[in-house]
Amino acid sequence: MARLANLETEYPVLDSTVRNFCASHGIFSVEDFLIHDLYMLAAFAEQNNSSERLKEGIAQVLSIIDDMHQPWLNGMELLEDAKRNKHVFPTGIQGIDLLLGGGIRVGQLTELVGPSSSGKTQVCLRTASNVARNHMVLYLDTGNSFSPQRIAYFLGKTINPSSAQAKNQFLQKVMSNISCHSVFDIFAMFDVLHQLESYLRCQDGRGGCQMRLLIVDSISSLISPLLGSSSTQGRALMTSTGYLLKKLAHQHNLAVLIINHTVGGEGGYSKPALGDSWKCIPHSRLFLSCDRGSNNYNVSILRHPSMASGKAARFVI
Amino acid sequence: MEIWRLPISASQRGKLISAGYTSLSSLSSISSSDLARGELNVSESEAMNILKVASHSRGSETSNASCSIVEGAQSAWDMLHDEESLMHITTSSADLDNILGGGIHCKEVTEIGWSSLSLIVNSVLKYKLTTAFGSESIIFMLIGGVPGIGKTQLGIQIAVNVQIPNDFGGLGGKAIYIDTEGSFMVERAFQIAEACIEDMSEYNRFLRKDFQECKIKMQPQDILENIFYFRICSYTEQIALINYLDKFLSEHKDVKVIVVDSVTFHFRQDFDDMALRTRVLSGMALKLMNLAKRFSLAVVLLNQVTTKHTEASFQLALALGDSWSHTCTNRIVLYWNGNERYAYIDKSPSLRSASAAYSVTARGIRNSSSSCKRIKMM
Repeated sequence: MARLANLETEYPVLDSTVRNFCASHGIFSVEDFLIHDLYMLAAFAEQNNSSERLKEGIAQVLSIIDDMHQPWLNGMELLEDAKRNKHVFPTGIQGIDLLLGGGIRVGQLTELVGPSSSGKTQVCLRTASNVARNHMVLYLDTGNSFSPQRIAYFLGKTINPSSAQAKNQFLQKVMSNISCHSVFDIFAMFDVLHQLESYLRCQDGRGGCQMRLLIVDSISSLISPLLGSSSTQGRALMTSTGYLLKKLAHQHNLAVLIINHTVGGEGGYSKPALGDSWKCIPHSRLFLSCDRGSNNYNVSILRHPSMASGKAARFVI
Repeated sequence: MEIWRLPISASQRGKLISAGYTSLSSLSSISSSDLARGELNVSESEAMNILKVASHSRGSETSNASCSIVEGAQSAWDMLHDEESLMHITTSSADLDNILGGGIHCKEVTEIGWSSLSLIVNSVLKYKLTTAFGSESIIFMLIGGVPGIGKTQLGIQIAVNVQIPNDFGGLGGKAIYIDTEGSFMVERAFQIAEACIEDMSEYNRFLRKDFQECKIKMQPQDILENIFYFRICSYTEQIALINYLDKFLSEHKDVKVIVVDSVTFHFRQDFDDMALRTRVLSGMALKLMNLAKRFSLAVVLLNQVTTKHTEASFQLALALGDSWSHTCTNRIVLYWNGNERYAYIDKSPSLRSASAAYSVTARGIRNSSSSCKRIKMM
């Protein structure tokens, strides 16, 4: 929230008289304005000489603040929005889709947690290849683990190739819907998300193939270098990331899939990394593990808005 | 457009917010001298830096081309074609190369673990390690003094093999060898280089008989010259070197592999602050990934193995814990099976789990000479 002095160029009504009056009450920025008792301020303004001016100034600042908050929605509007926009995307893996009652939901942040080599990247690749048939996908990769061959393999399994050329065309059409970008630090990721936001804002207007899935593999690699030091900056960045992703998911109807790893907890059990502050940020959390030496994987629900937690399933990739 | 997204230090951010600048637009119309002179209490150069960073962020928003969603993103289809033309670094053992899909990939970070030789107090213990093969059990005996499973040998072999010229199917690049333990032996590298050149002349002789004049002009000295060797004595040196590699690699663009032997050595002993260790290691891994991607090189990290005590049984696991295991793209575990050395792919985005036998000979890493040459697939 800007300083009142800087707002003068845009809103000439906030001239020096208004500002001096506000300064005499200790108000230098819009934020100070909000903390102050507005009735008292209005009363003082009445008693002042140029009361009209001052009241106009106060009204102007209040209207600036009004522009900043999201519009109110009632329950019916939310329900309409959920029915029309917030679809469910199947991941393509039967076990997971059955467990989640369809798949991952648009507008929600889904987290995959698991120890190393438990299939998290494979689930993401499978989901990306499934969603890319009809929508666009953005894959943010922090560990160079995006594998186009795997995507081609998953797609190849699902179609019956009439000819090599038809298969090639199909692969090209679907794989061109997946964009992959490597990010290696959190500020680069913020830049990318910001560009994505502008892209999505333009996209909401036009039709055609729309972006519906964002995958971040893995968010914990970006945040781990920041946590644990004496400053709280790391945790602040982590929470800001979470809220930014949730905002993108809800406002632009994206399904967001992120990957987290595990660390050792008490008693030798592994627990998800990033700590307790992160625990409540994703809407749903799935815990994956792998039976050593086979293709069988286990998934269980740690947290989900509509399915019971603790339910588990097995799947094969 | 918020201030917290800018890569500036926490104290500068705090000063900006307390002075009322919370969005990028509020910084757009101010000059650096005003910023420094105002209530902010920052120096002129800091103010200029802040404004530079802010205008860069603003610039990236407006210059969003409509063709790509995000600057620098590639579509999966383009990447598929790029990957098909990507070269691999051979390990000189055909079995090992087979399970690796041709060899060590560029643009990826591969971690290779070996069994630790640390002596367990009081006794020589036998560990039964049931591996991914299910019922097969391996007897692992710790004996002090045996030179190990061959990780340094594999590292040196890769550093030599990356220099095989393009004509012979190699990359013709240079290597960086970062040594933290002092286990790099120049004489051994010379031996391996000689053997590699002899193999190349054999290949030349058998298959390219018409190119009589095309004798191998490479000498072992040339190969050694193309290995850039760094010796590290503490973890701060290690971090400093990884930071420096950015500049080094922009000057030496023909480096194609970085071998770090071993990446965990300085982080295992006397590291009191575990949180600091995790932070430093994750940061280091990200930097290495960045280097691998930007300069299209392969990064091979050699790691040690510790024992984890879970549910009254001992399990061998790579050192430095789960966070570190998560950061690498691929993981290969080297182990003994009877008298044979085996390599097993533990983690990979695109390769199947498999293991292959190899042996360490006077000429370097070669195929295992046992009669059972079957590659065990999962």
